[in-house]
Amino acid sequence: MKNLFYLFIFTLLAVTSCKNEPAATSVQTVKTANSIKYAKGLQVYKYSGITVVKVTQPWPDATDGFTYVMQQKGTIVPDSLKKYTVVQVPLKSIVVTSTTHIPSLEMLGVENTLTGFPGTDYISSEKTRALINSGKVKEAGASESLNTEVMLDLNPDAVVAFSINSSNKALNTLEQSGMKVLYNGDWTEQSPLGKAEWIKFFGVLYGMDDKANELFSKIEKDYNDALAQKVSNKPTAMAGALYQDQWYMPQGGSWGALFLKDAGANYLWADTEGTGSLGLSFENVLDKAQNADVWIGPSQFTSLKEMTDANPHYSQFKSFKNKQVYSYSNKKGATGGLIYFELAPNRPDLVLKDLISIFHPEMLPGYQLQFFEKLK
Amino acid sequence: MDTFKTVLSAQQVSIGYSSKKEIITVANNININLKANTLTALIGANGIGKSTLLRTLTGIQKPLAGIITLNGKDLSSFTSAELAQQLSIVLTESLPPSNLTVFELVALGRQPYTNWVGSLFDDDLAKIDSALQLTHIEHLSNKKHFEISDGQLQKVLIARALAQDTPLIILDEPTTHLDLLHKVNLLRLLKNLAHNAGKCILYSTHDLDLALQLSDETIVMSKENFVQDTPKNLIANKVFDMLFDDPNIFFDENKNGFVVR
Amino acid sequence: MHHTKRNSILFTGLGIFLLVLFVLNISLGSVKIPLQDVFTSLTGGNASKPAWDYIILNYRLPKAITAMLVGMGLAMGGLLMQTLFRNPLAGPDVLGLSSGASLGVAIVILGSGLVPGIAASFFLSSYSIVLASTAGSFFVLLAVLAVAQRLRDTMAILIIGLMFSSFTGAIVSVLTYFSTAEQLQKYTFWALGSLGNLHWNNIAILFVVIIIGLVLSALCIKPLDALLLGERYAKSMGINFKQTRFTIILATSLLTGCITAFAGPVLFVGLVVPHMAKLLFKTSNHKILFWATLLIGGVLVLLCDIFTQLPGSAFVLPINAITSIIGAPVVVSLLISKRKGIFN
Repeated sequence: MKNLFYLFIFTLLAVTSCKNEPAATSVQTVKTANSIKYAKGLQVYKYSGITVVKVTQPWPDATDGFTYVMQQKGTIVPDSLKKYTVVQVPLKSIVVTSTTHIPSLEMLGVENTLTGFPGTDYISSEKTRALINSGKVKEAGASESLNTEVMLDLNPDAVVAFSINSSNKALNTLEQSGMKVLYNGDWTEQSPLGKAEWIKFFGVLYGMDDKANELFSKIEKDYNDALAQKVSNKPTAMAGALYQDQWYMPQGGSWGALFLKDAGANYLWADTEGTGSLGLSFENVLDKAQNADVWIGPSQFTSLKEMTDANPHYSQFKSFKNKQVYSYSNKKGATGGLIYFELAPNRPDLVLKDLISIFHPEMLPGYQLQFFEKLK
Repeated sequence: MDTFKTVLSAQQVSIGYSSKKEIITVANNININLKANTLTALIGANGIGKSTLLRTLTGIQKPLAGIITLNGKDLSSFTSAELAQQLSIVLTESLPPSNLTVFELVALGRQPYTNWVGSLFDDDLAKIDSALQLTHIEHLSNKKHFEISDGQLQKVLIARALAQDTPLIILDEPTTHLDLLHKVNLLRLLKNLAHNAGKCILYSTHDLDLALQLSDETIVMSKENFVQDTPKNLIANKVFDMLFDDPNIFFDENKNGFVVR
Repeated sequence: MHHTKRNSILFTGLGIFLLVLFVLNISLGSVKIPLQDVFTSLTGGNASKPAWDYIILNYRLPKAITAMLVGMGLAMGGLLMQTLFRNPLAGPDVLGLSSGASLGVAIVILGSGLVPGIAASFFLSSYSIVLASTAGSFFVLLAVLAVAQRLRDTMAILIIGLMFSSFTGAIVSVLTYFSTAEQLQKYTFWALGSLGNLHWNNIAILFVVIIIGLVLSALCIKPLDALLLGERYAKSMGINFKQTRFTIILATSLLTGCITAFAGPVLFVGLVVPHMAKLLFKTSNHKILFWATLLIGGVLVLLCDIFTQLPGSAFVLPINAITSIIGAPVVVSLLISKRKGIFN
């Protein structure tokens, strides 16, 4: 009896393991799982020696995405993948086009591979500014119109670019010259962790997948830890400011709004759909948010007086009267770049902590705000 | 006079305007016979239809009835290019601003004969020179057209018409704006061109006295009548008596001119 | 032909100047490349850095050729429009073609969010801007021609062209109001004009279309000379006015439409160059003006393009900034020196 039972188990195991075996050997035919959890526009498939990266949302409403094959030294690219852009990794030189890419490079410790950037003045981080000042990072034009000559002269191993559609003359010319142009879709991500997860994109470019995963896991954990705290009350929140005659109020599905939700705030426009901004009139905003407790992110303003100089009506809001206005425009780099735009997408854990400290100060006693500043 | 060739003839022509809604007849029963070597004046009161008649004779407007023949061929059957070699015009409207020299302006008259880009060859240059000589303006050749007097400019425009080398030249009120001396000189020039260069020249005018004295034939348009004849015959037939509506203006045979009572 | 010695000297001088500027344009740029390397590259050799070969042959050379073609095409369009409408302030954009092109491009760049999914994929394709620009000017062209067939009065066509410009401009304003910052920047950059970054096959298309436009323009030399005396005289000399007008409008549309599609709307060149040609050669003779306009047009845009490259710096000014800076004072000085003959 016992022998029969063991025999049965043994056969079962043998049969099931037989099933698995053919799956483990061949690289091409079996898809490994996408290792990305939060970022909706990024897919990373790791094989031995080759990593396939899919950017599915390079710009809003994109119907096709881009597939990039990151090839490590000594490996062969299978024929089925040859039609995609193949990039030799790890990169030795790179040009990036958004300040949000800089923290990723710095966290991986590869900022010294940066050879050019369009609009170097926007970069705040001191480490990279040192490279700019020493002449290692060259000025490459404007992000919407890269200087073709400078780019051709720099000839980086890859350019990480973003565009709002595929007809970008300068990028097309660079691609024609054989340069590897990689479209980065981090700016279309809306979820806080989704945006930060794009560090894995850079990780793959430098063969530092493990380090990138490790860095992200820590951010993820810190973020979720901060989230887990239960809150008793939810202060009401408003955002944005007037530009010309429109008040741009982030929609409920946008990156900024999702943070407010996670920070335990009652964002008054949280139920609006969409990932962009609403264009509201001043009356609309006053009507709905006059008594909001906290005002987050009033565009470019850095002081209360600046606000009333621009528009005296701002003082009608309770949040203004109670001096509960927090702006991200005060913290700048040496040449005027906003730290918030550069670092916040990569460190959602810090942003969340900032917001929790603003809405629920009792939860984080002694916390120093990283991005926001209370306006005086 | 009768032995000269007929250049332009009109038979039982009615002139006017027709649109979808109506037909307006300006004048009818028009019979004209313009011959070579002849200077013919066209006179008539304001509004009687002289401009309409000229427009019809130059092919810009279609006649309401009747046939107009140019060198034996129906006027309406000419293409624009063919017509340009048979008929040239001289107008009094001011020219658009440009940098044309007198020579270049006269040279434009050769357009109906030149190639696609308007190059001038020897025979073209010869015609231009001859036109300049006949009008006595060779000394003005290199001046810009806005640097000369109105009277000189008019000679330039006539020279252009001469360069166009057409058997028929039609002028629209050429004596307006000129003083008596220039009027007389102009008409003498036209007469000269008609007789010595063999042109058939028709011009419209309000200067009745000069027309009677200097033209070979005169066409008189009035409400009752349309007559073409020599001035002498016209006077004899008392055609001018009822030219104007005003009984206080009448034609005095002895003075050969109009008198106001 | 009424060639004078002065004209011959001027033409030779202009030709040499054009050549010199062409070479200068290729030699200067954001990256400092020594003159010797420039010549080595151009004559088939290898420059000190392979990147430099690429820059010279595949970026600067196409850009210089584009500059010449743009200058010649727009200048000719300006000449045609100024003579046809007898208006010294007319330019190739007076028919509203550039505005039509701008509207097409604005719809594609700014309006892509407003359009359903099927059309969106077209909107975001790589040729979208060129096609939209061409379609935009083409539709305006059809409208203008339809109107021109019915109208005897040439001035009315001018006014209609200006009205089209206002209309399309208004729609573009509305679109900009509802667009994102990135879209706005992209549209604005397009509207500032750009001579660089054209592939060789695009340059080939531009070249062919411009040649066709110039051939059509050449056919108009004789009628344009006749028109110097006004429509009535021109008709009496055998010119078919309606056909001439059609040909002129068609030629201008081909030239302007194609250039705007590939390089964006480049301002002032078409307006200013015919005047410079008339001032320099002191003539209204279109046989001379045809070649003078071509040469001066090429010279002017090559020169402006050189000024856009603040040599050695990564910052490149948009071409329209330079053409406007040079063009506006020229127009003002023309208006001031309002003498009967020069003012044409």
